Amino acid sequence: MLMIAVKAFLILLYATFMGFMFMGIIRIVTARIHRRVGPPIYQPILDTIKLLSKKSNITHGLIYDFGVIYALGATILALMFIPLGGVSILRAYGDLILITFLLEIPMLGIMFAAMSSGNPWAGLGAQRALLTLLAIQVPLGFAIVALAEFYGTFSTYEIVMAQQTVGWSITHLPLLLAAIAYDIVLQAMFGKEPFDIMIAPGEISLGPMVEFGGKHMGILQIQHAIALFAETLFFSNIFLGGAVVTAFASPILNTIASLAVLLIKQLAVLMIAIFIGVIFPRFTIDQAARFYWKWPTIIAAAGAILAAL
Amino acid sequence: MINELMIIIFAPLLAGVLAWLLDIKGIREAIGVIGAAIPLAYLIQAYQTLSTQPSIQYSIALAGFKFEFLLYQINWIFAMIAGVVGFAAVLGMVSTAKDSYEWLFALISLTGVLGVFLADDLAGFFIFWEVMTFASFMMVLKYNRKASLKYFLLSVFGAYAMLIAIGIIYAKVGALDFATIQQVLYQDAMRGAFGTDTLFSRNEMILVFGLFLIAFGVKAGMFPLHVWAPDAYSETNQSYTAMFSGVLSKAGVYGMLVIYILLGTRLMYEFGKFGAAPKFGYIIALLGGLTIIVGGLLAALQEDIRKLFAYSSISQIGYILVGIGVGTALSIEAAIYHAVSHALFKGLFFLIVATIIYRTGKTEFKDMGGLAEKMPITFAMAFVAILSLAGIPPLVGFASKWLLFEAVIHENMPILGGMIFFGSAIGFVYLIRFTYAVWFGQRPTDLDDTKDAPLPLAIAMGILALLNVVFGIAPGLVAKELNKIFGKEVIGGTIYELNLGFGRYNGLLITIWLVVGLVIAAIIYFLGAKVRKVPVTDTYQAGNPVTMEYNLTIRRNFFLPLKETLAFWLRISFDRLYQDIGKWIEDLAETMRHYIYNGSVQAYAWYLAIVLLILALWGV
Amino acid sequence: MVDWRLFEPLFEFARKRSLWIVAFCTGCGGIEMPPLMTSRYDLERFGMMPNPAPRMADLFLITGYVTPKTLKRIIITYEMQPDPKYVLAHGSCPLNGGIYWDAYNAIKHLDRYIPVDVVIAGCMPRPEAVMDGIKKLMEMIENGTADGWKRYRENYEWYKKNQDELFGEGWREREARRWIPWLMDKKKKEK
Repeated sequence: MLMIAVKAFLILLYATFMGFMFMGIIRIVTARIHRRVGPPIYQPILDTIKLLSKKSNITHGLIYDFGVIYALGATILALMFIPLGGVSILRAYGDLILITFLLEIPMLGIMFAAMSSGNPWAGLGAQRALLTLLAIQVPLGFAIVALAEFYGTFSTYEIVMAQQTVGWSITHLPLLLAAIAYDIVLQAMFGKEPFDIMIAPGEISLGPMVEFGGKHMGILQIQHAIALFAETLFFSNIFLGGAVVTAFASPILNTIASLAVLLIKQLAVLMIAIFIGVIFPRFTIDQAARFYWKWPTIIAAAGAILAAL
Repeated sequence: MINELMIIIFAPLLAGVLAWLLDIKGIREAIGVIGAAIPLAYLIQAYQTLSTQPSIQYSIALAGFKFEFLLYQINWIFAMIAGVVGFAAVLGMVSTAKDSYEWLFALISLTGVLGVFLADDLAGFFIFWEVMTFASFMMVLKYNRKASLKYFLLSVFGAYAMLIAIGIIYAKVGALDFATIQQVLYQDAMRGAFGTDTLFSRNEMILVFGLFLIAFGVKAGMFPLHVWAPDAYSETNQSYTAMFSGVLSKAGVYGMLVIYILLGTRLMYEFGKFGAAPKFGYIIALLGGLTIIVGGLLAALQEDIRKLFAYSSISQIGYILVGIGVGTALSIEAAIYHAVSHALFKGLFFLIVATIIYRTGKTEFKDMGGLAEKMPITFAMAFVAILSLAGIPPLVGFASKWLLFEAVIHENMPILGGMIFFGSAIGFVYLIRFTYAVWFGQRPTDLDDTKDAPLPLAIAMGILALLNVVFGIAPGLVAKELNKIFGKEVIGGTIYELNLGFGRYNGLLITIWLVVGLVIAAIIYFLGAKVRKVPVTDTYQAGNPVTMEYNLTIRRNFFLPLKETLAFWLRISFDRLYQDIGKWIEDLAETMRHYIYNGSVQAYAWYLAIVLLILALWGV
Repeated sequence: MVDWRLFEPLFEFARKRSLWIVAFCTGCGGIEMPPLMTSRYDLERFGMMPNPAPRMADLFLITGYVTPKTLKRIIITYEMQPDPKYVLAHGSCPLNGGIYWDAYNAIKHLDRYIPVDVVIAGCMPRPEAVMDGIKKLMEMIENGTADGWKRYRENYEWYKKNQDELFGEGWREREARRWIPWLMDKKKKEK
């Protein structure tokens, strides 16, 4: 019991820290592509400390507070189910469908909080966020179906183990197609261009985030960090082979090594997202929906059908 | 003579008639609630009996027919759905029913649906089916003539289809009770397998299956026969709709199961399999998948709160049809599980809608907003229902959806898998539209003194919300009962855990870790500085000051971009198609009336003469 | 609840190094923002970021002259920001009217209406000057002298009196209602 608590705490700490580093990396890489110097890598942590240490906060009612708390809580819940090298605690229950749903729930919390503020921008942002969700769900669904059909199991951990013997998922054609589709979906899940329609700074004033300030926004920053970590981790696990290192004698060394392997894979996923994000302008929502319902869906459906044969 | 099955079926009818005859305010409500409580009590008692013996049987001879009734595991589950949701709906009606007319027909339709579930022969099945349809038609008729006529026409269409199918079966088999039909058709399939002549030809099987599909599809609201549902569900007492959508549509689903029970083997032999699913089942599943998508997308575009949930109900029934269609033991169990959870959350939703309409008198999204502060209890219930329908663990909606996903995807059905994934997203979409427009945002000033739910409605909602949570955290409770249908452990695991071998879901564990996550988040939250409450007018409007006269909420056309994206598809409407066909038939009849049935006796005499001439020429 | 004084230096450091700007360009100086934010001067080095929503912003840049009409929006937006918040007035006009010293429709002394922490003189100040001002503000945050938000809270009556003298009492509601007939008219036209 105590062991589980300690493990969970360590995972949480690691995920939060790495998530913040990822956010910092996003900002630095973006800046470098712009030929700027960019902020230090620990900048998101400073931002979060600043937001949490604000001396006055506003609320729009109980749901406004609860939605934010719920978003972070659900993200932590999702994180616990994703296999993280050798340390994850709930990986036996890390079901593909469950994790897919769990990664979507935090957004529901944010939407609840945003909408309860009554700000028109937030309403507009919620609408766009939901339509993006609707748009990405089709290719996402096909990609998950392809995975489950290819491996015949829904357990993420078993998929990771299977990849140790049959090779990474992306080396198989059906799953390569699924991975391409999923990566395009990931772009929208990260909220990066060209699918940052829901946030759209400068257009609808950050959309759902417009009313959050102070500690609410601070909690959402932490949530964003963990979600970023969890999403990249999920992708690395199911498509890039995860990490199971057994080269060393000591289990601690093995764990550290597998975490390092995972980190490299996660960074690769992140970099693709940044590079795509930096060079593209923003879609409008109906363009995004049409795009997602066309090419990624066709690719993912082809993958799913090939996997089913 | 008095048997518990008879009591279960006829207690609501009796109570309804009594309530109608007495028609004293207070007493009729009490009688109605008792009438709905008795079947529930007897059904719970029957659980004890069913654990010792496989079934409870009863037959009654009436007017030359022998009516058989049988209670066993499958229809006990369906009858329990009817009992629980029917009871909750009747409790809700205590607040919302206006006169004894509604009590009479609401309770009669409960009798009808219980009769459909318990009947063990096609004659009884058909009669109770008609009772149910008629009573629900009367409920709609009182509120809206046009909607009720649409419902009536399609129902009659379905009923005739069923009657013809029953006729064909009776002509061939010579019996109406389920056991004989099942046996004869099974032997027929065996005969076919050995190469001898079969009783039913291939075309006859297609005909029977098609007719049953139409009959049950109409009731379940299957695409493209769903057009009656949005109007009928919305244009009646909303407490009653909890039963209408939660239970009566399950009669259609149960009908699909009856197809499996009676014709399953024969159809499977005739048409073969598609992957793991029988081909005839795959048709049901595909139509179910289309139902999910069409119902969901249309739900997102509705402007009326009742219509939104009517379409959402159609969409959710689609899931059940997919599960039934895939036809493995697991997927059928998943489908029945989803039928249970659909009844629970959709019953809850319609009671919430009933409360909102009862308290505000408004039905359109544009007139509402910001009610969460005024109706906290109802909002809490709505929160549970929203999470459940959207499939958020740990609520019952997720457990059943999860089972369905696993069952379908595990059978290598990518297209159906994609459809149900899309369905879950569209669920989010229309629910957020409901949440945003009704509970959050700016409140119109005329809703400032809205009160919370009246007690009977609050109790009814409480029952359903509690079941939503309990069956979500302990999904094994339902799974255990479902396993009894097949007599083997299809869904493994404990009371909190569903274990399929290729996937696991533990409701309790998720609850615990969600609470842990919430506690961590709450600690961070409470470490921060204190919050100050600000009104809705103090939000960022690009620096502009606003007052309550400004409209700060997107009240109409919330999903306008979706509408634009789907503009091409939205032009295709089955409702309009049916209306056009209706109009065309009307025109035809008009022409015939004009030229043939023109009311002149002379003309009729001529017709008679011509007919006689033809017959004479024929040599009769 | 918890005594956070021990961590106050950390918070001050975070506040200093993470100034989020309200992207609400109130005057002609807004044109100086693009070079500041982009690769030439790159303010993001100091963790500064333009931010469309005032609720999560710390630094309010008053970029150039202020008219009564913009001042109303400035006050409303300023009050929306959570404490601690800082104001950096940019150019001569908010300081003393600048070239509009005798204009009938420009605000001469912005600090009569909202507290200003740092003022950068010049018409227009070059990006280097703005960066110098920001540097100054950071120093002030560190040694605790950037206390405009505190002054606004303590002397609210005085600021309110000045605002009301200029706009008349109840100006917020009046300003809000002013547009209602116009909105109604527009609605009618749409029909």
